[in-house]
Amino acid sequence: MNTTPLILISFTAIAAALGLLTALRPELTRVRGGKIFAFMALCILPALAMWAGVNEHLERSTSTQFCLSCHVMADFGKSLYVDDKSYIPAVHFQNHFVPPDHACFTCHTDYTLFGDYKAKWRGVHHVLVEYLGTIPKPEDIKLYTAYNNRECLHCHAGMRKYEETSSHHKNPEMLAQAASNQLSCISSGCHDTVHDVANLKDATFWTPKENGK
Amino acid sequence: MTATVMERRIRLSGLLVVVGLLLQMLTLPMTHPLAFVGFILLGCPLVAAGMLFFLYLLVSHETP
Repeated sequence: MNTTPLILISFTAIAAALGLLTALRPELTRVRGGKIFAFMALCILPALAMWAGVNEHLERSTSTQFCLSCHVMADFGKSLYVDDKSYIPAVHFQNHFVPPDHACFTCHTDYTLFGDYKAKWRGVHHVLVEYLGTIPKPEDIKLYTAYNNRECLHCHAGMRKYEETSSHHKNPEMLAQAASNQLSCISSGCHDTVHDVANLKDATFWTPKENGK
Repeated sequence: MTATVMERRIRLSGLLVVVGLLLQMLTLPMTHPLAFVGFILLGCPLVAAGMLFFLYLLVSHETP
């Protein structure tokens, strides 16, 4: 069992208890020791608890379980189990080309300086739509911008199979065009079956064996 | 500023911090987008407001 949340909850509880003590007995601050205590209880400990909590929540928000906890994402989660090699996310998920417990985040984060934060900000917007807005049908959900090859090449660039496969040399400029994002990996007719949630009812699914046996 | 006013303000800042920390504590056991949003948009601003208010009290306090 992961003990990090328990440690964090305990630490936050201690910080809250000390903060409460300061709030209930502000006269403590009349003496030097009390001032130091108040500074620890109302500044240092809450700041540490907040920093640790933000880290924990940010880390947890990269998990597949987190992304799929919204109902509208269920079909996208299901598409990871399609038994068809043309489904790009399914192949990556089932063969552990991406970490299965961080599958969504691995491909749907911009590999740029603020990519993680942009993704989280978009996530906050999605939560507001889920609870306050009109939820679109899964098949109507689109990316904000065209999928950038940079996210594919974060792993595939320099990979022998990627660089030597004959279909990537149909024309001599192909790899260079892919690297500069002029030729899209997924919308140029090559790897164009992505989640395809509209056609999931006709698909067959892979069932993983329990405990990997 | 009298000690009583100062202490009342420290109490307010302490309560802001405590309410924020309690909210953060509630969200920590959950792996859900609502918990994330609650932590970031409710818990953190309350704690930060309490901390900043306390720091403001420190710098604005006139020693006799």
